[in-house]
Amino acid sequence: MAATGEMKAPARRAVAPAIGGAPVTARAVLLVRVVVALAILAVWEGLSRSGLFYGEVIPSLTRIVASLGKLLVDPVFYKNLQVTALETFTSLAIGAALGVVTGIVLGANRFLMRAFEPYVYYLSPTPRIILFPVMIMWFGVGPASKVALGALSAYFAVALSTAAGMRQIDAILIRVGRSFRATGWQMATKIYLPAMRVPILNGIRLGMGTAIITVLLAETKLSNQGLGYMIMQVYTRFDMPGLYAILIVVFAIAGACNALIGKLAREQV
Amino acid sequence: MSAVIEDIRLQPAMVVDDVVKRFGRGDELVTAVDHVSFNVQQGEFVSVIGPSGCGKSTLFNIIGGLLGDYEGSVMIGDERISAPHPAVGMVFQEESTFPWRNVIENVAFPLELQGVPKSERMDRAHHFIDMVGLASFEKNFPSQLSGGMRQRVSIARTLVSQPKILLMDEPFAALDEQTRLLLGDKITQIQQELNQTTLLITHNLTEAVQLSDRIVVMTYRPGKVKRIVDIKLPRPRTSDVVGSDAFGHYVAEIWNDLREEATRGMADSESAAARRGSHG
Ligand SMILES: Nc1ncnc2c1ncn2[C@@H]1O[C@H](COP(=O)(O)OP(=O)(O)O)[C@@H](O)[C@H]1O
Ligand SMILES: [Mg+2]
Repeated sequence: MAATGEMKAPARRAVAPAIGGAPVTARAVLLVRVVVALAILAVWEGLSRSGLFYGEVIPSLTRIVASLGKLLVDPVFYKNLQVTALETFTSLAIGAALGVVTGIVLGANRFLMRAFEPYVYYLSPTPRIILFPVMIMWFGVGPASKVALGALSAYFAVALSTAAGMRQIDAILIRVGRSFRATGWQMATKIYLPAMRVPILNGIRLGMGTAIITVLLAETKLSNQGLGYMIMQVYTRFDMPGLYAILIVVFAIAGACNALIGKLAREQV
Repeated sequence: MSAVIEDIRLQPAMVVDDVVKRFGRGDELVTAVDHVSFNVQQGEFVSVIGPSGCGKSTLFNIIGGLLGDYEGSVMIGDERISAPHPAVGMVFQEESTFPWRNVIENVAFPLELQGVPKSERMDRAHHFIDMVGLASFEKNFPSQLSGGMRQRVSIARTLVSQPKILLMDEPFAALDEQTRLLLGDKITQIQQELNQTTLLITHNLTEAVQLSDRIVVMTYRPGKVKRIVDIKLPRPRTSDVVGSDAFGHYVAEIWNDLREEATRGMADSESAAARRGSHG
């Protein structure tokens, strides 16, 4: 693995000449990112101080940071975070497992693929939140209805991406498996799954994104725990710095998970 | 007792009898393999040679059991091949290592399928990796190896399953001439060490003469057997044999047969290209 890293390192640092002639270096990219972040913060602070907006709509950065500090030591926050994390994780696990199986079945069977593709394809972009009332009737107002909804949204992303990955498998590897007389189960676990690990991981990354959104959204609608519920509470108190603090934490966590899975997928080449 | 052993020895490892394979139908009908018969004795090295498109890979897939729907018979013992047979180990023309497994995990793959315990399969894989000269690359991934090394991994992976018949489809096609000769030496050495019955599919004449006891020369479309030539070069053999007079005679003799077929093949692909061109 160390050797792979060594060999790939130069590619990542590749100094390709940009159209303008200036070389694109990792450092320049980082610099631009930092400048953009600083600019956004500066504009925010400027707007906040300008007094153009009503009261707390755009609170000053110092107040947001103070709220963030308070939030990060608040046990209630951690309790809600735990609820949301657990709901998201469970829904992702269920949705991804069912999605991988569906993807393999559809990808392996041209007839089933043609029969079911329209359903998966056209249903996948519909907003799942409209099904929330149904889920509440089926699973109650507790975490189960959020998990069900989250699983449903992760499911489509993983199924589509797995089915697509299935069709891209190098046919020769399947012939190798057959020539060694691999059983159906061995073909699935030792050839199909590892050969599709990149599309599957990408599907899981997308699925996680929609699962987080769906779970949070469902929590804001009807619940008595979770970060979504906490956001609505803070909002009804009109505690804007508190609201922004939670949003920052949610963005940070979602971004970190995304980066982690993305990194896993990139390592698998 | 010894009579029985004699009998087993005299029995061919494999009999290809009147095999026919057609693809498509109507105007599109292609006879890829046309009434092909030959056999392979125990411990013998046989090559099938013919120009591109003469049906060699089709024959390879039939013998390997990957193309079950054909006429005639390929017999191993008293079994007609219609699915992959445990006695046959295939090495493919294409790049076929698993990119997510390192060398030793690639080679151990067939043993993993058979449920051989880990320490034993690592030992056995190691033995064959050593045999193909990759002992210091066991932990490397295919992407870190050259094409020739990856092909040696594929060969070791097939050998580890200890097939009675080693079946290879142009395993060196993508390699340069020097690598090809040296790998040929390795193959000869392995074949002699294991007394490995081998059927090599190739379009390379020097390779075929260097390695074989017998060469089956195929015609270009439809793929028939044109001639079967015994190669009586002394064994043990190395790539040095390439410089000998006897070698030159065999090459010249077989080339005489092949030239005609290769010319037809070339004319055919040129007219096909022209047809494609005129269609825009
Ligand atoms: N699956 C297939 N469907 C239709 N035609 C095929 C198929 N496989 C091979 N052929 C045809 O059979 C002929 C022999 O092909 P092949 O066995 O690959 O030849 P070789 O390996 O000697 O180059 C070619 O004309 C090829 O187009
Ligand atoms: Mg071929």
